[in-house]
Amino acid sequence: MILVNKNTKVIVQGATGKMGAAHTKRMLSYGTQVVAGVTPGKGGEKVPGTDVPVFDTVREAAEKTGATCSVIFVPPYLVLDAGCEAIDAGMSLLVVITEGMPPQDTAKLTSMAKSRGVRMIGPNCPGIITPGQTLLGILPGMIFKPGPVGMVSRSGTLTYEIALALSDADHGQSTCVGIGGDPVKGMEYPEVLTAFNNDPDTEVIVLIGEIGGNAEEEAAAFVKENIKKPVVAYIAGQTAPPGKRMGHAGAIISGGKGTAQSKMKALQEAGIEVALTPREVAEKVSKLRSQPVHR
Amino acid sequence: MNLYEFEAKRIFADFGIATPPGVRITRPEELRKIHFGFPFTLKCQVMSGGRGKAGGIQFAKDLNEGEALAKKLLSMTINGSRTESLLVEPKVSIARELYLSVTLDRARGCPIFIAAAEGGIEIESSNAIVTVPIPYPYQPYVARDLARQLGLSGTLFNKVADMASRLYRLFETLDLDLAEINPLVVTSGEDLLALDGKITVNDDAMARQPLFRGWQASHMVDLPERERKSKMLGLNLVELDGNIGIICNGAGLTMATMDMVKNFGGQPGNFLDAGGGSDQEKTLQAIEIVNENPSVKVILLNILGGITACDEVAGALVEFMKRNPKRTLVVRLRGNNQDIAEKMLADSGLKLFPDLEDAVKEAVSKAKVAV
Repeated sequence: MILVNKNTKVIVQGATGKMGAAHTKRMLSYGTQVVAGVTPGKGGEKVPGTDVPVFDTVREAAEKTGATCSVIFVPPYLVLDAGCEAIDAGMSLLVVITEGMPPQDTAKLTSMAKSRGVRMIGPNCPGIITPGQTLLGILPGMIFKPGPVGMVSRSGTLTYEIALALSDADHGQSTCVGIGGDPVKGMEYPEVLTAFNNDPDTEVIVLIGEIGGNAEEEAAAFVKENIKKPVVAYIAGQTAPPGKRMGHAGAIISGGKGTAQSKMKALQEAGIEVALTPREVAEKVSKLRSQPVHR
Repeated sequence: MNLYEFEAKRIFADFGIATPPGVRITRPEELRKIHFGFPFTLKCQVMSGGRGKAGGIQFAKDLNEGEALAKKLLSMTINGSRTESLLVEPKVSIARELYLSVTLDRARGCPIFIAAAEGGIEIESSNAIVTVPIPYPYQPYVARDLARQLGLSGTLFNKVADMASRLYRLFETLDLDLAEINPLVVTSGEDLLALDGKITVNDDAMARQPLFRGWQASHMVDLPERERKSKMLGLNLVELDGNIGIICNGAGLTMATMDMVKNFGGQPGNFLDAGGGSDQEKTLQAIEIVNENPSVKVILLNILGGITACDEVAGALVEFMKRNPKRTLVVRLRGNNQDIAEKMLADSGLKLFPDLEDAVKEAVSKAKVAV
């Protein structure tokens, strides 16, 4: 597993909002150690429907509970402030679920996170799950199973679809990281791939990408140089027209760049198996697990 | 949101970036009030690119010629974009042209300056460009680095650095995706002038920018009607040529479903991401808007409920089928509250597919027999 495990102590920022409260409950029922909520002005209360204490500030929550990670559900224009507060209070991992964060705010937050050596996942992401141990975010826990496949993805529901295909074929997951669908974000593919490469629990890596930008092309080059474990990739958006934003802020083909075809070609040229359907991802993983390929 | 040139130039002027004196007109007669004399330039105000090549910029040497040109230009449609108005400016004497812009670099994850020592260029295909990443918080030395890399010196060095700093301030203050001056003109008097400009406002940040309040509707003129309507409802719709309407929750899964439809021999009619956590009302709006497209023969609804509750979707389906009993629907429902949804739809005669591939194959085969 990478980044999080059953001992990870988690704070939820925005825990008393509708989304925050609902997902705090779901995380708790999955087994996540949610030890505190933070909502300014609601210190002393409990997260609705739970026994989790709410604090006014992240610093106080961290001091009282020893938490090291924060899951952020606050509204888009408050994420920069909330994220900086979490970094300053000593959190080592931020998971930003919020969608619609202005990208210049994201650039400022990632720049601060980098300079302080803090890892950030998101924004606009489903979070991270180490199946059977812990879940930080909004992923549906029942779809995932413990096992040897490491997953990294720019998408939410597509990740669930592929995890479902993997779980149905009895390929459980070590950890699954949703890095988010925004053009500017915290962790990118190379950082997550490196963590999986060094993780003894991970045998095979599944990389899920989509149109827009050149992160998959860069990931392909990175895999070729640095990753020893087999990788299976899936790219969404082969039928997407150019110049149109396909839901995610980052999913747009501009100036003829960022097409699914270019990404698939780069991945194949780097020796990565590229699947055309979620079910085919599971089939390729089966093949690789029965006859490992060494790069 | 993209702005028209005349809007971009007003904003430039507010931030101390000099622009030619200009007048925006919507009728040829308005040319008579213009005070800066002849010759002048008439420029179509359109959202699309390629305006110069399409003849959307003309010079007039007198009023008669100006009125005739204005009449023609005002009725022009350029690359599918209707001319909103004309911007009339005096002809400028140009000693030199540069290119200057600020944008967000997604690979580096920070804003960057992009500049070139030649102007009026296609920046994507130019190899003479200079890029400088901009660290946060901003300091003007970054603009001086840029000016040096452009090979400038003396007064021009300072003037270009100052203008770049102003352009960055504007970019940050107004939450832009792009602030571009192309060309940035050096006049024969060694003054800088933004001769043409482009501004793209970040869609997610618009709600906190009072300047742009209420601008959205008037700037979506080039979007097809149903896509515009969807945007106002908070749905992401992109229409395509095929006959299978596609609705999913989540952008990646929607794209993957489109791709599978195509791979199994069907033609996707649209992309519609209803978003995560959509309730009955929003889901119903999504199905209705796809149903309004006359080319759509079959609607394929693919919901993998994580934060979306399947029973909310089932509620929308019950209501939709009441309103449109003849429409062919293929539905894949799986996940959160799937059992409740199955009970709600038990009497409807609608077959629910737990597996995505099976649902896609069914939609493709139904679309082939549909008239």
